Amino acid sequence: MKTLLATGPGPDHPAEMEQFGRLAGHWATVITHHPADGSPTHRVSGEWEFGYALEGRAVLDVWRWPGPQDLADTGRTADQECGLCVRIWDARLQLWRFTFHGTARGDQLHMYARQIDDEIVMERATAAALVRWTFADTTADSFQWRNERSTDGGASWRLDQEVSARRLR
Amino acid sequence: MAAAVELLAAPWNLGLRPPAPGREPGTWRAPQALLSAGAARLLRPARVVQLDRPTYEFDPQPATRIRNGVTIREHTLRLAGAVRETLAAGRFPVVLGGDCSILLGCLLGARQSGRCGLVHLDGHNDFRHPGNHGTGTALGSAAGMDLALATGRGELLLTHWPLVGRPLVADEDVIQIGDREDAAELPFARFTAREIRSTGVADLAERVLDRLKHRGLERSWLHLDLDVLDERVLPAVDSPGRPGLDYAQLAELVAALVRTGRVAGLDVAVYDPELDPDGVHAAAIAACLATALSPLTATETHA
Repeated sequence: MKTLLATGPGPDHPAEMEQFGRLAGHWATVITHHPADGSPTHRVSGEWEFGYALEGRAVLDVWRWPGPQDLADTGRTADQECGLCVRIWDARLQLWRFTFHGTARGDQLHMYARQIDDEIVMERATAAALVRWTFADTTADSFQWRNERSTDGGASWRLDQEVSARRLR
Repeated sequence: MAAAVELLAAPWNLGLRPPAPGREPGTWRAPQALLSAGAARLLRPARVVQLDRPTYEFDPQPATRIRNGVTIREHTLRLAGAVRETLAAGRFPVVLGGDCSILLGCLLGARQSGRCGLVHLDGHNDFRHPGNHGTGTALGSAAGMDLALATGRGELLLTHWPLVGRPLVADEDVIQIGDREDAAELPFARFTAREIRSTGVADLAERVLDRLKHRGLERSWLHLDLDVLDERVLPAVDSPGRPGLDYAQLAELVAALVRTGRVAGLDVAVYDPELDPDGVHAAAIAACLATALSPLTATETHA
């Protein structure tokens, strides 16, 4: 599968590719869950690796938890996530098309994303809510990510999950 | 000299629900029906631009609860490009739709050359969005959401745009005219169908102009959903109703607004030739447009 990954962006849409491309690398994460049922907030460590792919036309990432320090000697259990995200800039829509393919629970999600001010906002609409995943406060060495949902059309948002990421390389 | 008219044919039906299982709404046929009924002969456009007919999908598209949401975005961007090009050439775009979702592309095209208000002439307020109607299992129809989407309410897919961002138009820069729902609470200046009946068209046009001046709006887009006409005048629309304007009142109102020089362009939406099998209404609509736009076409004749 040497053709899957790429060393950098392709020649088309360089400014857009940079929006996610600047995350290329390996990140240690702390994932914080805020359960909607009122149960206590809990945290888990994780790893997040981003890179260019498909001749520089896509940005992939692999999302894993727990992180190496919390991984059992026997390895990742079946219900611990190792998922793949695929992002492709769609010039016809002037949006990123995004899919997540989870291996732990078989999750498969579609979203659309755009840079809005200094954040990248990803969104999908379900029958019950708008769901947003937002990359924020991105620097060379860190970024924040949050997973929110709105049941009133975007007037208010509930924080379900957040991630604090620190670059490893 | 007034700008020459340019006709943009947008054969869309993406924003409407199927009238019957497996059957597409017929508004996509309207541009051709209006052209065949003499719209080009009467309006004498500098150019007629024919846009592609988008593919209507009956099934939901990924990650959106808006029917044909992804297709609407793609074709909104294309329509915006055509409107922008017409405006850049110093001409007056008249977009022949199509359903009301064409408004997004028209506004986006107009906004790319600066601030632009919106005069929303429609028998409905088209302000449906998840914040006031919930989400639910049924797909939403963009033709009932166009004013909400234009003012930035709803899914990112149809509210965040290149260069302009969100919203396409601020609440304060919207004037809604013709809504039959008196009790609706909307964040816009509005003149309901019943108010128009008591004030009259001439007075209404004055009030609209006052509002545009008050807001400092040198240019606005005029959205004309033909269901603002009384259903006894034009029943061949998706959601006919009464009370409403007649053709003479509509032409007088649009002409008065165009004469102010503050209207950048116009779109005409929701006439459905499939609800007009004998074609009796297309000629009346074309004639109404010709009268309404006579401040432009008459000047151009002597230029």
